[in-house]
Parts: sequence; C-alpha cells; structure tokens
Amino acid sequence: MSRESVEQERLPKITVMLHWVLASSVFFLFASSWWMLSLPLPSAEFTYRVLPFQLHKNIGMTVLLITVTMAAIRIADNGNRHLNNPDRRQKLAVLDHLIMYLLIAACCLSGYLSSSYSGWETSFWWVLNLPAWAEENDDLNILFSGLHLWSCWALLAVLTLHIGAAIYHGIADDGLINKMFRL
Amino acid sequence: MNQNDRVTTGRTWLGVIALLFALLLLANQANELLKQIVIAPGSAAEIGTAADCRADELAEEGLSLKECQLMVSSVQIILASSPPWFRPFQIGLSLLGCGAALASMVAGFGLVNDSPRFIKLGVISFSLLVLLDVAAFTAALNTGPLLRAQYLWPLLLWFFIHLCLLMAAFKVMQQESRT
Repeated sequence: MSRESVEQERLPKITVMLHWVLASSVFFLFASSWWMLSLPLPSAEFTYRVLPFQLHKNIGMTVLLITVTMAAIRIADNGNRHLNNPDRRQKLAVLDHLIMYLLIAACCLSGYLSSSYSGWETSFWWVLNLPAWAEENDDLNILFSGLHLWSCWALLAVLTLHIGAAIYHGIADDGLINKMFRL
Repeated sequence: MNQNDRVTTGRTWLGVIALLFALLLLANQANELLKQIVIAPGSAAEIGTAADCRADELAEEGLSLKECQLMVSSVQIILASSPPWFRPFQIGLSLLGCGAALASMVAGFGLVNDSPRFIKLGVISFSLLVLLDVAAFTAALNTGPLLRAQYLWPLLLWFFIHLCLLMAAFKVMQQESRT
C-alpha cells in the first residue's frame, strides 16, 4: 500500500478519541496500581486504600465500556472495509488488536470479579451503587486477583509490542499511524 | 530525501515520541496528585497507629507480617520527610504537569498531522515541562533525605527527556523556517 493510500484511510473520530482516552487510562491504571498496593492494608483506622481502589475500579469499568464500544465500532467498520489479500503485517496488526481487546476485557472483568468476592462495595463514579451480587469468598477473590494480575502483565507485554510498532511506523514515516492521529 | 521530506519525517517522529512521553507523564502526574491527596498529614500512620495485619489479609495479598508493618512505615517516611509546604506545592505542580502533558499531547497530534503551526505549541509545552521539572527537582531537593531518594533520580530522567524533546522541537522549527 502506498503512503498516500494509507494516509487517506480515515478512522471514525470517536474511535480516535476513545483510543487516546483508553491509552491514558491504561497507563494511569498501571502506575497507580503499583503504588496503591504499597499502601497499608485497610482497617477502620487505615483508610489510605479507599480512594485509590475506588478510582481504580471506576476507571477499570470505564475502560471496559470504552473497549467494548471500540470493538463494536471496529466490527461495524470492517464490514464496510474489506482488505484485499492482507499481507503478513496487516494480519499481525489485526491479531495484535484482537489480543489487546481480549486482554483488556480479561483484566477489567477479573478485577471486577475479584472485587465482588472481596466483600468491598463498588460505586460507579460515586454515583451508581452497583449491587453486591456475590458473597465474600476469599478463595474466589484470590483466584480472580491472580487472573487480574497475570492478564494485566500479558496486556503490558502486548502493549509494548503495539507501542514499539507505532514508533517504528512513526520513524519510518510511512503514513500508517497517521489515521490514529487524525480527528 | 530532500529537505522538505526530512522536515516532515522529523516532525512525525517527534510527534510520536512526544505523545508517548506525554501519556506516560500524564499517568505519572495524575498518580502523584493521587498520592498527595491520599497521604495527608495527621492521618493514622502519622499518629502512630499500629499496622492492622490480619493473617487472612496477608495470605490474600501474599505479604509477610514484616512487609505489612513496613507499609505503614513507608507512609510515615513520606509524612516525616515532607516539610509543610511540600504537599500543597506538589498538588499544584502535578496539576500543572497534567495540563502541560495534555498540551504536549495536542502538539504531538498536530506534528504527526503535518501541521507546522503545532511546532510552536510543542516548543511552549516542552519548555513548560522542563521548567516544571526544574521546580519539582528544586522542591524535592529541599525535603528530607528519604524523600530526596524517592524523587530526585526520576525527576532528573524526566528533565533530560523533556530537554531532548525541546531541543528536537527547536531543530524542527529551525528547519521549517529554512524551507
């Protein structure tokens, strides 16, 4: 594909905006989670973890909603845009996005399930109190917490590849990344 | 590659790198803001409340008893090493840092889109980031040794990253004025 034809490809504005909101949120979730787990364990006196954890859950749930929206837009958009004989690089890009969407969903869902079994309540952006549908269960909390941890490490690895590829195409200046920078 | 192509390529890669670092910085500054809000003077750790380390919680978190107790000490370190002006100063600085990171994101966006006028925004936002790094470094320098150990080196790294971006933006602006 020529630089011009790649550059002419446009993504829906909403996809571009959501992509960057998602990127900022995911980076913040990583940075804040590494820090907040060093805070004293919660008790009646030690409430340091309350705000960071509630914020983490809220952003996580928002990230899940954004990811589902982006995946839906991509599926609808791909219906209108057929790649004729995609090359190896294009196939890899599709696979990268698919794995990333799945890992983001896995991170968010495992985090939510872990929280649900921890006995802590979740209030969506301090406005909507989500129903506590599960009883406190330490074993399930530990299970989902482990899944949350490992799916997030896997996400970080895939993100690294994704960002590495974006930098490569940016330096090569082949026009491939321009569509994600165009509103 | 002619001069025009070279300028466009320089602008594109600068835009990509600026955007990546802006995302990382935004996360860093937002996390610093959260830290300063959460670790407040007069809270449980400062008044000497003993750590609450229940066995089931330790197993859930995969922590030893010693680690659980030291978690309270790590909050005490921050509080003991911070002069009274440090917390409000850091809150203001991290809010400004978030704003400057967002501005450099916009600049990065414009640079990749081949919009020459965004190079000026790039120069302004990277200059602001360099100044904020200097202010943060100076502030950290005037705290106790325990906080200096946490802050100074990462701040120095950020300072040089922003200095590199600023110099690259100056170079691109210079090249553009010649073409």
